[in-house]
Amino acid sequence: MSEKQEKMRQCAEKLLRDGEAGYVIGWGETRFDDRTTPIFVEDPAGAGAFVWNEYAINSLAKYLLDDKYPDKKIGLFTRGCESRAINRLLKDNQIKRENVYLIGVPCDGKKSDRCTLCRERNPILYDVLLWTPEDDPPPAAGRFDRVKDIEAMSPDERYVYWGETYDSCIRCYACRNVCPACNCRECYADMSKTGFQGKQHSRSDNQIFGVTRAFHVGDRCIECGECERVCPMNLPIMGQTQKILKDINELTGEYECGMDATSENYLGRFDLDDKDEFM
Amino acid sequence: MELKKDKLTEALLLLRGASNVILPVSNDGAPVFKLWDGVAEPCLSANTSLPPKDLLFPRSEKMYDYNVKTGNISEISSNKKQTVFGIRPCDVRSIENLDHAFLESGYTDSYYKTRRDGLTTIALACTETARTCFCDSMGLSPNDAPGADIVLNDRGDAYTVKSNTEKGEEITRLWKSLLSKETGKASKASGSVVCDFKARADKDLPEKLVARFDDPMWDKLSKACLGCGCCSFICPTCYCFDIGRENHGASGTAFRCWDSCMFSDYSRMAGGHDPRPSKKERLRNRYLHKLAYFNLRYGVTLCVGCGRCVDKCPANLDVTRAMDIISEGVRADG
Amino acid sequence: MPVEKSFEPAIVAFCCNWCTYTGADLAGLNRMKYPENVHVIRVPCSGRVNPQFILRAFQKGCDGVMVCGCHPGDCHYSTGNYFTRRRFMIMKRLLEYNGIDPERFHARWISGSEAAKFRDTAAEVSEHVKKLGPNVKYREEFRITESAEAGT
Repeated sequence: MSEKQEKMRQCAEKLLRDGEAGYVIGWGETRFDDRTTPIFVEDPAGAGAFVWNEYAINSLAKYLLDDKYPDKKIGLFTRGCESRAINRLLKDNQIKRENVYLIGVPCDGKKSDRCTLCRERNPILYDVLLWTPEDDPPPAAGRFDRVKDIEAMSPDERYVYWGETYDSCIRCYACRNVCPACNCRECYADMSKTGFQGKQHSRSDNQIFGVTRAFHVGDRCIECGECERVCPMNLPIMGQTQKILKDINELTGEYECGMDATSENYLGRFDLDDKDEFM
Repeated sequence: MELKKDKLTEALLLLRGASNVILPVSNDGAPVFKLWDGVAEPCLSANTSLPPKDLLFPRSEKMYDYNVKTGNISEISSNKKQTVFGIRPCDVRSIENLDHAFLESGYTDSYYKTRRDGLTTIALACTETARTCFCDSMGLSPNDAPGADIVLNDRGDAYTVKSNTEKGEEITRLWKSLLSKETGKASKASGSVVCDFKARADKDLPEKLVARFDDPMWDKLSKACLGCGCCSFICPTCYCFDIGRENHGASGTAFRCWDSCMFSDYSRMAGGHDPRPSKKERLRNRYLHKLAYFNLRYGVTLCVGCGRCVDKCPANLDVTRAMDIISEGVRADG
Repeated sequence: MPVEKSFEPAIVAFCCNWCTYTGADLAGLNRMKYPENVHVIRVPCSGRVNPQFILRAFQKGCDGVMVCGCHPGDCHYSTGNYFTRRRFMIMKRLLEYNGIDPERFHARWISGSEAAKFRDTAAEVSEHVKKLGPNVKYREEFRITESAEAGT
């Protein structure tokens, strides 16, 4: 562990010293041993602050949106989930590839529930790879297991399930803010005057936020699980987005997002011979 | 006076006869405040993940109905009697702070006042602190809640009962048959709890913070912030709200709902200008409100040190880090 | 939910200007009768229909929602309805997944000459929704649930 951490620090220090990157984004210490926080290091002498342990959990890619026109490249430690998020941002024209320097750090799995669904531990996109790739975990047979559980309920049971789930939503929008697919300059939910989304806390408005967010990101979701990790109420948010992914998988075959930066997302294209149920 | 633990349910049932009782019950192991059904076991092992502020300041609250044709306006108010049991010293202080803002700022908020008048607080002093707790750095004690109507102290097989107010006296009268004389021996050490973590909340912190309004440290502190409203909504002392209207033809309802200063539409003005355009300004405003502005106006720190935001922040930001930096006068990267 | 005998559902039909809306017009010209509880909203293309319109319609009190556009291949803008098709194949499933009865949401291709198909679809949807009774799911009458803690 510490050997890898040392490699990361050396790499970051070199990038900063050579002026290759303006700053490097990675994980740093907090006052708790079992937590890290994203840090942004400009000074080569500060590269010793980077840590790599099983608590380096937070996805870092979304921070690239805070600095879309950097003077120098932004260095970013990139695991499998970050690289898919970066593909997402590249595809959505949010960042430019030449503005980022991706330091590939194959991931050995972190102490987080969000890593249980992980199928891409190694970055699929990087400028340098710091150590040998890890073995990918066995294909998650249960990718859509919980969607199937909910589908097995009756319509009324499903309504109650989601209704009760959204009753405890506090609408802090952490799920939105952490999501690499939620990259609108301004979110519809922040435009309360347009009338799409009521600001009040009610089952109906909470559900409408949940379903709308799911639909907005569903076909672009990279399944990183960050939305569920950040939710202060521990809501099963991915139960919605994964339903959309499952349907797309059933309608057009194998579908996965963020594996490259070019493929059009499902709802952004069409096939003349798509299945039709509306005749 | 003391209340034997085996008489607790009886005591709660007596309370329930007089008002709604809200107490922490277990939700998958985590305590949450719920309207007590008279059966559920109180879960008093740790503080709740959400504060009880929505007893006084609901997430959404109807204010008045109106009809533009008839010109009728009818105010909606809730004057239910509520008793909250098992509230911790930090949350008791948070209610005192909300009182400052809603009742003493030169305007009395009638919606808040009605609920506040109907609320009785029965506090439970802490027997242990969580690792995120830092209330004793903020001028509170985890062992006492002077702002509560009644304070209970865990003494092993009984609670000592101390009444602070007239409302508290009423409850001790209600409990008369259940209370007994203090035995004097405490099998469990309560009353001497201290927080493991100490935040640097020096006396001159507010002035120091305000003086460093334009300091580049705010850039550094806010970099990892996601800009979500999690910290505001789980904070016991965040009291910002937005007012909206629901129209149905000629009639409608005005309501108010929680708002967060971390949101992009919070300080946006009618013309579209936003004096706090990025998370740097928003985080600075939040920290300054908690640690400086409220002090300068009301003489107490708004932050009560409950540690909820430290625990729940998706980016693991820590308000005490800002306090350390300011108190030590160091730069954020130092 | 007990169904009142007099229940007349409110149904919103988002109709493409170039086909279904014309089809509905033709139905009128031909003195065809379709249920008056179907309220037509004209949109420039079925691709204009944002899935949030559907959610908002249910929230604001509609008991059923229809989205009607040109047959695939006939879109006035060449490809609009191909996107609609994908979008509502997903949306329909998502609504069902969230507990909305599938009979409450319908998408149909109805051309400008298919007046009878418009009439039949409207009648059929109206009939189904009538049987289901008023929609309570997502309805805003149930809004502003003050938290249980507040005990109101």
